[in-house]
Amino acid sequence: MVRMGKNDHAVIEAVLAGDKEAYGALVVRHSESLFRVAFRITRNEADADDVVQEALLRGYQKLASFRAESNFGTWIYRIAVRCALDRIGRRKVDESSRVSDETSPELQEVQVADWAAGPDRLLLSGEIGAMQETAMHSLTATERTAFVLRHMEDCTTEEIGAALGIGPNAAKQAVFRAVRKLRARLAVLRVRT
Amino acid sequence: MSHLREEELVEYFYTRDDAGAPAGRHVADCVECAEAYAALRTDLEEMEFAQPSARDADYGERVWESLAPKLQAYPAPRRHWLRSGFWMGLSYATACGLLVTSAFIAGTLWEKNQTHPVTATTSASSAPKEKVVLVVLGDHLDRSERLLVELKHADVDSAEMVSPLRDEAKSLLAANRVCLKSATQGDDPELKTALDNLNRLLDELANQPEGLNSAAIARLQSEMNSDGLLFEVRVLRSRIPEGQSLGSTGAGGGKI
Repeated sequence: MVRMGKNDHAVIEAVLAGDKEAYGALVVRHSESLFRVAFRITRNEADADDVVQEALLRGYQKLASFRAESNFGTWIYRIAVRCALDRIGRRKVDESSRVSDETSPELQEVQVADWAAGPDRLLLSGEIGAMQETAMHSLTATERTAFVLRHMEDCTTEEIGAALGIGPNAAKQAVFRAVRKLRARLAVLRVRT
Repeated sequence: MSHLREEELVEYFYTRDDAGAPAGRHVADCVECAEAYAALRTDLEEMEFAQPSARDADYGERVWESLAPKLQAYPAPRRHWLRSGFWMGLSYATACGLLVTSAFIAGTLWEKNQTHPVTATTSASSAPKEKVVLVVLGDHLDRSERLLVELKHADVDSAEMVSPLRDEAKSLLAANRVCLKSATQGDDPELKTALDNLNRLLDELANQPEGLNSAAIARLQSEMNSDGLLFEVRVLRSRIPEGQSLGSTGAGGGKI
C-alpha cells in the first residue's frame, strides 16, 4: 500500500535517501493528471498509459536533478508532455512510412473528402469528431502539443515553451499554425453545415 | 486602419477576450475584424475532441504496481568527510582526551586519599619524634641528676662552684620546659610531676636575684626538697635503660 500524507518535497527527500517505496505516493498523486494530458496529446488511451509510466520512470531516474524550489507536479507534467511528444513523433514516422508505401499524396484528400462526403451522414453518424481527430493528426507533434496545452490545458505560452523546450514566441507560433491548419481542415464542415 | 492578423486574433481568443486589450478595443471598433474574430471563435469553440474515459480511484495504485519493479532504490547518501569523518574523528579525540583527563584526576584524587592515612599512621606512631624525645629526656635527666648531686654537695663559699651551677641550671631550664611540654601532652603523670618540680628548682637556681649563695642553696635544698627530687630523677632515669630502642618503648607518646 502506498504511503500518503507527506508533501512532495518530503517524499522526494525520502526517495533520494534510499526509500524507493516513498515514490509510490507521488505516482498515486499525479498519475491521473498525467494521463489526461498524455491522452490529449497522443489521442490514444493505451499510448497515454505508456506515457504515464514512461514519464514517472524518467522522473524517478532524474529525481536527483529536481530542484527543491520547483513544483514536482509542474516538473513531472513537463516530462509527460515530452514523453507524449516523443511518442506521437515516433508514431508519425511509422504512419508516414506506411502511407508512403500504400497511398498516393492525394489519398488523404480523398479520404477526408470521403469522410466529408455527406455532412448529414457525418452528423448523423457522429463522425465529425473523427474528422477533427484526423485534422489533429495532420499537425506536427510540436503543433499538436502546443495546441493541446493552449486549448485544453489552459497553459500560457511561457508554460508551453517550457514544456516543449522552446521560447514563448515559438510556442505562440506553434499554436497559431495548429489553429490555422485545423480550421483549414475543418472548413469543409463549416461550409456544408 | 490596419486590421488584426489571424495570429493576433488567435492570441486574443486565448487571452480570454480581454476587452481592455488593444486587440479587444480594435475588434470592438472594426466590423471586419469583429467578423473574423467571431468566425475564429466559433471554429475553436465547436471543436470537440475525444475525452479519455475516467480513471478509477485505483489507477495510481495500479501505475505504481507496474512501475515499482522497474525502479532501483537510490543509494543512501554518503556523508562528506567534513561532515562525518572529520567530526567523528574529532569526537573520538575529544572522548579520548576526556577519558585521559578523567583518569588523571581520578588517579590524583585516589593518590591523595591514599597518602593521608599513611601520613596519619606515621604521625600517629610518632616513632622518630618519640625516639628524639626519649634521647633528649634521658640526656636531660642525666644532666639534671648531676646538677642535683652537685647542688647537694655544693661548697657555697666557693664562687667557682656556684657560677657553673647557675649556668647549668639556665641551660637545663630550657631543655626541661621542652620535656615538660612533651610530658604534658603524654599520659605519664609521674614524669610530668617530676619535671614540674625540677622546673621550679631550675628556675630558682637560674634566677636568684641576689645570686647563689649558701643561704639560697640551703633554702632551696630544704624548701624544694632537692634530695627528694634527686631520687625522683634517678627513678625516672632508671626507667630509660641505656641503649633502649624506640620500638621497645611502644607508642605511648612520651610515656617511659
